[in-house]
Amino acid sequence: MKKVWIIGWKDLLVLFRDRGALILMLAAPFVLTLGLGLVTGSFAQNNSTGTGLADIPLAVINLDEGELGTALVDVLTGSDLADLLEPEVVTDEATARLRVEKDELAALVVIPADFTQSVIPNLTTGERTTAVPIEVYANPARPISAGVVRNIVQAFVSRVDTGLTVTQVTVTQLVRVGLLPMANITSAAQAIGQQQMTQIQNEGAAVIEIVRETAVGASNSLNSLAYFVPGMAIIFLMFTVSMGGRSFLDERRSGTMARLLATPTHVAQVLGGKVFGIFLSGLAQVGVLVIGSTLLYQLYWGDMVGVLLLIVAVAIAATGWGLVLATLAKTPAQVTSYGSALMLIFGVLGGGFVDMPREGLLKLASRITPNAWALDGFMRLHKGGTLADITVELLALLVMGALLFSTVVLLFNRRSLLADR
Amino acid sequence: MLSKLIAIFWKDTIIRFSSKSELLFFLILPVVFTLLLGNFRPSGSDTDNRVPLLLVNEDNSALANNLVAALAQLESVRIVALTRSEAETAFAAKEAPALLLIPVGFEQALLTGETAVLQFSQLPNNNNGNVAAQAVQTAVNQIGQPLAAARNATVEAAARRPFATEQARTAFFNASLQMAQEIAQEIPPRVTLTQPQAANIDVNSYDPAAQSSAGQLITWVFILLLGTSAMFAFERSKGTLRRLLTTPTSKATFILGAMSSNYLQSLVQMAILIAFGMFVMGVNWGQSIPALTLLLATFGLTAVSFGVMLATFVTSTSQANNLGVMLGMSMALLGGCWWPLELFPPLTQTIVKVLPTTWAMQGLTDLALRGHGVSGILPETGALLAFAALFLAIGLWRFRFE
Repeated sequence: MKKVWIIGWKDLLVLFRDRGALILMLAAPFVLTLGLGLVTGSFAQNNSTGTGLADIPLAVINLDEGELGTALVDVLTGSDLADLLEPEVVTDEATARLRVEKDELAALVVIPADFTQSVIPNLTTGERTTAVPIEVYANPARPISAGVVRNIVQAFVSRVDTGLTVTQVTVTQLVRVGLLPMANITSAAQAIGQQQMTQIQNEGAAVIEIVRETAVGASNSLNSLAYFVPGMAIIFLMFTVSMGGRSFLDERRSGTMARLLATPTHVAQVLGGKVFGIFLSGLAQVGVLVIGSTLLYQLYWGDMVGVLLLIVAVAIAATGWGLVLATLAKTPAQVTSYGSALMLIFGVLGGGFVDMPREGLLKLASRITPNAWALDGFMRLHKGGTLADITVELLALLVMGALLFSTVVLLFNRRSLLADR
Repeated sequence: MLSKLIAIFWKDTIIRFSSKSELLFFLILPVVFTLLLGNFRPSGSDTDNRVPLLLVNEDNSALANNLVAALAQLESVRIVALTRSEAETAFAAKEAPALLLIPVGFEQALLTGETAVLQFSQLPNNNNGNVAAQAVQTAVNQIGQPLAAARNATVEAAARRPFATEQARTAFFNASLQMAQEIAQEIPPRVTLTQPQAANIDVNSYDPAAQSSAGQLITWVFILLLGTSAMFAFERSKGTLRRLLTTPTSKATFILGAMSSNYLQSLVQMAILIAFGMFVMGVNWGQSIPALTLLLATFGLTAVSFGVMLATFVTSTSQANNLGVMLGMSMALLGGCWWPLELFPPLTQTIVKVLPTTWAMQGLTDLALRGHGVSGILPETGALLAFAALFLAIGLWRFRFE
């Protein structure tokens, strides 16, 4: 057992002294997480949008003489949307359009003349002018931002139409059942209409409210880093175990493996030590990343026992894959290439970069990656889960490691793994 | 000199592709990432490509069913009706990006004038979840309007003269609802979305395929060309660079040859990925082939110059390869190649302009989305050439053969 430990510890030290390897083992996950944090705005303390989308630049032109145009301008320039929009009320339509085309603005909102008159009927005649829609002139290079602006404008006009429908239906029904004399229609309509107008401007209580939450808690409290940090740690864990697997071939080529086998050390001890070295390297790497991200990004991981066990389990599963690489590759360069490719493919399939849909073949493919299982486990713990909540993930990772290790040991002669081919 | 350049080009190509694993980074990984991150679905297949939305209807009332019907009519989502436990299990397994729960009491709340509450859950870091959220909001707006009218009329009527029975209240509510629905159907469109005439896409139906193809092209070409540093490191470690000093080949010829070989390989890679984007992902790369060629050629020059500069800082092949992957992915990420630049915070959008990948991505966006030609991408091309000159100047100044 002592020899197994010594061999494993030796491999760990060799790997962590390789400055080239440290770049992908430690530097890359931190740098990429930092980048992801900057991109998603996770570091912004007042990021009330919950995403990086903020201060969408747009211009507004109000050609309407009525109250609806003014109300829409007030909504777009109001404090409620101050974090999301950066509006500018302009008068020169041609220049504003040019600015959209030059990618200086995400959209231009043109409130046409007679908009109010086309929406709100004349109280005496009940007539409206010809419908003139509001135009949202979108920048095709910013489709998401333009879509957000369109949705805000659409929500406003929906509230307007709701108010009008409410007024019309209420008055009509009250008259129909005899609760409102015909002579009082106009005053009643004005009173109800005024009440609805107030609701439009103040966004009064909705009929139907949607309570939104992400899978890791209330949408306003989600820290995207809680998703990205474990994702990156596990992606680059695959690189570490592939480097561990590479050490098999490196030692075979350099002759140190032959010398080791010539000592009074049993083959099983050598193999066990090498495997233990891969496991230790992975464990150490993830451990460093977890501690580092906790200190740097003030990240909350959840139940610490669960986190530790999950780290051990994912290191075991990843070790299995490192062993498979060492078995199948013929040269150290092949291990590095295949290992890097496996790292990236597992990363994208397992949802380490972006959350992938798990349907059909993609679902099956994600399940053979340690990334998917481990990420699910870390998310559950971050959400407040306990050890009992991640039993499935822990078991899956342990079974994956055991299966891979058994497959390698059963299919390949131990000596062929350690001897030069 | 030409024969020497060709010889160096051939030598480098043989070295690079002597191992089949090189195809992984040259072709396979770029294609796989483009497919997966572009949410690619084969056209004409039987698969329903709409975003699945898990739906739990615990109320099962007429009004709840109205909401379900409104959702079913939308083209962006596909309803998957399940029991609560089934839906929660499926959501936990990430089989769908969103779950909508219509709780018991939904209709009752609407009839009594209270606010009816829906529970909507979505997966984090998932664009399809946002699509589903938008669809739910659209459906709620659609049925909310007549409901608000019917509710208000009922409350007003009750305030003037209380209903004799609950059935009378319900009958009045339903009559009001029907009237409101008829009115809603006659409302003309109030908002139109327009875009510049030259635009290459329909903003109304945004497809992430263009963003994904462009972003992955820049990412993987950049990583490939940063591998130029690994090639120099390899030759330096083998001593072949030293031996070249004894030959009649000048340093300039060797460096030019090495750069040219990597650059030409990248042009081949870019051509393959462009064709893949066009024929498989259905990406429209714009109206101007000269503009596309100019942008990609300039970007390739910038990337290979960066590789030459990087070669002067690394001391081993392993360092060079790993730094290439790390820098390539980081600069691609920050340059807007993985997520659109418009999603970045405003300050970050300004800061990342110091990266060549930002300008390359901006150029491809101008071509593929805004429909620009050569004149439209001159600023990006100019910036990339400036980067190339800077990187090359630093690289040549620091270059050592030993």
